[in-house]
Amino acid sequence: MNLATHTATLAEMIAFAVLTAGVLGGGLVTITRRNPVSAVMSLVLTFAALAGVFATLSAHFLAILQVLVYAGAIMVLFVFVVMMMNRDEITPISRRGLGTRAAGVLAAGYVFYRVAWLVNRERGLPVLAATETPPVKDFGTVSSVGALLFSDFLFPFEAISLLLLVAVVGAVMLTRHLREDRVP
Amino acid sequence: MPTYAYILVSLALFFVGCAGVLLRRNVLIVLMSVELQLAAGTLALLAFSRALGDQKGHVFAFFVMALAAAEAAVGLAIVVSVFRTRRTASLDEVNALKG
Repeated sequence: MNLATHTATLAEMIAFAVLTAGVLGGGLVTITRRNPVSAVMSLVLTFAALAGVFATLSAHFLAILQVLVYAGAIMVLFVFVVMMMNRDEITPISRRGLGTRAAGVLAAGYVFYRVAWLVNRERGLPVLAATETPPVKDFGTVSSVGALLFSDFLFPFEAISLLLLVAVVGAVMLTRHLREDRVP
Repeated sequence: MPTYAYILVSLALFFVGCAGVLLRRNVLIVLMSVELQLAAGTLALLAFSRALGDQKGHVFAFFVMALAAAEAAVGLAIVVSVFRTRRTASLDEVNALKG
């Protein structure tokens, strides 16, 4: 395994800082908005910035899929449902059981803080310090990821397409209008 | 940028999603927070995939994306059918299955 390391150039650092600021800022805005439409829009920003982060990891195929699937298809679904309900939240954070949930957030924050501390301490490890695209031909392109999908991962690929089919049929079944004479 | 920077961003994004799921009571925003958590997982997969020079991480990130699409479709369908009968999108008021 050849783990090439080099110091990040200034342009790389600026791109990384801007994109991760977009990802984390967009995520924070998403979970703090009272109006779900604003939340969906900032989630689109988050996913677009995340696609940029994927591109800096030389995951070109996944970056394009991120824009198409997340920022495109899934967000359109969310926008449709938000428009259908079309009501603001009266209380963004309800008080029922707030103490328990706040304790949960604090506990989760402590766990993530400890894991981040560990990652930061062990950042000298070769796998955590690697900075460059590995010397693999066509790393992360459509052709090489697609070749892997249709050879080693053919069965999981077909299974996940079956899962998607079942999910879509299930969604149609759940939301379809029952005829009046069949309502129990 | 080194891999650990991406892992720290992924941790922070997962925590943001966690806080959204725990604190918010609007079911739509809870679903969006779950999407944030799945995206954070994808980011960690891609970062380690690059560090190890192995594209299997990309394949698993692809599967996570398909899973997120299925989850959004079914979750939103359940939200719509609950909203149609109960006229609410608040998790506090949807407690018919509570023991």
